[in-house]
Amino acid sequence: MSAILNKLAPESELADDRYGDIRRRAHQRLMQYGFPDLKTEAWKYTSLRVLEKRELSATGPSEAGQPATLPFEADVIPMANGLIDPDRLNLPAGVRLEPMAPADLINLDYGDRAGAMAWLNLARFEQAWRLVIDATLERPLVLAMTSSSDFAASVHPRLQIELAAGVEAVLIEQQADRGAGLINIVEDIALARGSKLRHVIQRRNADSIWVQRTRVTVSADADYRCHALDLGGRLVRQDLSVHLLEAGANGEIDGVAFIDSKQHVDWHTAIDHEVGHTNSRESFRIMADGTGVGVFNGRIHIQRGADDSHSDLNTANLLLSESARINIKPELEIYAEEVTASHGATIGQLEDSALFYLRTRGLPVDQAMALLKYGFAAAPLENAEPEALRDWLTAELETVL
Amino acid sequence: MNQTTQQVEKVIQQRYKAGFFTDIESDQIRAGLDEEVIAMISAKKNEPVWMLEWRLKAFHHWQTMTGPNWAHLKIPGIDFQKIHYYAAPKQKNRPKSLDDVDPKLLETFDKLGVPLHERARLAGVAVDAVFDSVSVGTTFQKELKEAGVIFCSFSEAVQDHPELIREYLGSVVPYTDNYFAALNSAVFSDGSFVYIPKGTRCPMELSTYFRINARDTGQFERTLIIAEPGSHVSYLEGCTAPMRDENQLHAAVVELVALEKAQIKYSTVQNWYPGDENGKGGIYNFVTKRGDCRGDDSRISWTQVETGSAITWKYPSCILRGDRSAGEFYSVALTHNHQQADTGTKMIHLGKNTTSKVISKGISAGKSNNSYRGLVRMARRADNARNYTQCDSLLIGKTCGAHTFPYIESSNATAKIEHEATTSRIGDDQLFYCRARGLGEEDAVAMIVDGFCKEVFKELPMEFAVEAKALLEISLEGAVG
Repeated sequence: MSAILNKLAPESELADDRYGDIRRRAHQRLMQYGFPDLKTEAWKYTSLRVLEKRELSATGPSEAGQPATLPFEADVIPMANGLIDPDRLNLPAGVRLEPMAPADLINLDYGDRAGAMAWLNLARFEQAWRLVIDATLERPLVLAMTSSSDFAASVHPRLQIELAAGVEAVLIEQQADRGAGLINIVEDIALARGSKLRHVIQRRNADSIWVQRTRVTVSADADYRCHALDLGGRLVRQDLSVHLLEAGANGEIDGVAFIDSKQHVDWHTAIDHEVGHTNSRESFRIMADGTGVGVFNGRIHIQRGADDSHSDLNTANLLLSESARINIKPELEIYAEEVTASHGATIGQLEDSALFYLRTRGLPVDQAMALLKYGFAAAPLENAEPEALRDWLTAELETVL
Repeated sequence: MNQTTQQVEKVIQQRYKAGFFTDIESDQIRAGLDEEVIAMISAKKNEPVWMLEWRLKAFHHWQTMTGPNWAHLKIPGIDFQKIHYYAAPKQKNRPKSLDDVDPKLLETFDKLGVPLHERARLAGVAVDAVFDSVSVGTTFQKELKEAGVIFCSFSEAVQDHPELIREYLGSVVPYTDNYFAALNSAVFSDGSFVYIPKGTRCPMELSTYFRINARDTGQFERTLIIAEPGSHVSYLEGCTAPMRDENQLHAAVVELVALEKAQIKYSTVQNWYPGDENGKGGIYNFVTKRGDCRGDDSRISWTQVETGSAITWKYPSCILRGDRSAGEFYSVALTHNHQQADTGTKMIHLGKNTTSKVISKGISAGKSNNSYRGLVRMARRADNARNYTQCDSLLIGKTCGAHTFPYIESSNATAKIEHEATTSRIGDDQLFYCRARGLGEEDAVAMIVDGFCKEVFKELPMEFAVEAKALLEISLEGAVG
């Protein structure tokens, strides 16, 4: 993958702003480790080779399409082509957005080549925002990430989202890409003691390469729940790691990915029980149609001494066409004794008998199939709250079925 | 619970019963690995030129490779130049019958409970006994010959059946396959060869017993089993080594070929010396085992009980090439003290209507790490293929680790894969239930662990099931509280 390295602008062209030292360090690490290839375990099923072929400009167009309107009231932070314009924001009470301090970035470590895209982000981010939520939000906060159809740049947005103690919030990442660039996001979310976050990722991309690394830390008695609806894109790679740092922390992930022809979606989730008395649950489903490729890697890690931790992971997957592919790897890594950890995984297809049942009730084949697919895919979204959010997600799902 | 833990420790600390050393004069080739050593091994075995050429090709390929680092194992550097690649008990000529075998050797196998001796042969299992680098004797050869079955040491097969060896050697595990397979291909010294003719059901269980005895040696054996159409064979494998402070290397290759409607059942009880309680010594066990279901309706079944070795790196696999072929993998892997195991299976479904079943039970205790690593792959033309996998892990103590890394890949929309895994400890409620019925704590735990492994034990042939159960009891009786 050295071709990608060669295409990168040299170190001397990195922005020499107040983050200059951080950028140079990250650039050097990236050059040292290189980009992952299929022999890199974490990238075994996803190739970044497509990056070699693309000519990406450094800056994108200034305007991006408007995000789709939501069927409920919400406060929106627009991120157009990877950039947030702070002058055009109307933030609700209790929410602050400010540039990140260099001190918060100086000691970051993304390991070897598996973390190359995060090093790339750290070397080249345009903006690094710290979003602080100090008070319980009455309306969902929406981060609307859009790109225009002429978008062909590489952007590296960086976000640090912090929930203060006891705060409850719904954060929706509404991602609609229409371009053919590279969007490489690094996002850190911290839940302070007793806080609750419902984190929604709703994604529907076009030709862009979308790489997102989300790291969530959950403190004592805090509750993190992710609801993901990924409707595919040319190449999507989502890393979502949830670290349960203190007793009482809870982490849950419910996700669905629907992948069609010429799309590749790779979800890598990790739930790390760093201490005992923590709970987690995950349910992830993939449907792959046409020539779509779906990848799911779900890891549960229970560290030494994290006794009385409980974790369960379930992944069910449907192959809907002859040319589709699904690769999954549910992992357990357990170092503590008094725990329960389990996973279940299946790959199959729609049941003929179920289809037959619906046909005998007078439904045409297409409709019967759509109904079965919907029934399969909507299950993980059932846990989404409030109801308006669930209705919106399931309606979005219906549009592709 | 404390009392139980103490009892456990007491039982677990029991001496490794096969850890004795047989003082017998041995004929060794100098330590080190180069073309000359390989040529010397080949010359000692009086091999034809093609065999030597194959070994050298493998050696040259091995030189271009690096050791695997992807497993969940901490593998200390191995100095391949310090190992003796050939060690054989000194004997003037190869004994023509067991009566000619050095009594010390017979005594060794007697002590290990291997039925080489005439009176023990009543057990009715044909045995090929491999001591360090060579086979010292094979029983029941006459009876097997009558049935048309060839069961002999690999060296004999190279001499007597070169056409079969040339056709099948490396056809399932080529020397380019992986680092340790390449090493084995270059230096393998002996092993077993089995050929079951068409339509023949092998009249008895076949068994090979591997014993490492000499110091600073490695054991590199190769097993090749060919089952012609419609044949059936059940093969057992056992292994032990003396207790030593330094580590010894065992890198074997096993190739199975099942043609149309043939069935091969391969069972292993692996009890290499695991090292002491501080992790000193023990065998590094890097084994490549693979079966090729070449014919339609063929079946290969792997059953393994892994209790020994300091490091186990082993993935017995099935390539389900023929339509309706079936692969099975049943495994109990136990690790204790500082043992590390990364073991599992690969089920590669290529043919239509192929089925596979994987049952893996991992038990970790002490400071050990026990990983299941498996691959199930449904290729594009594997219509209606089915797989069911179940991996359960039992943790005993707070300092061990149990891990599961299943790779599941499907490119066929009619294939079905099911996988489930659990990790837990023995529940207090289960123990309480048994105790309330009047069972002692040790018996209760033994019963629960036995139940945990039952699905695997029932797949073992009778002789091995008893041994496996006893082995597990020695290591684990009363282990959980």
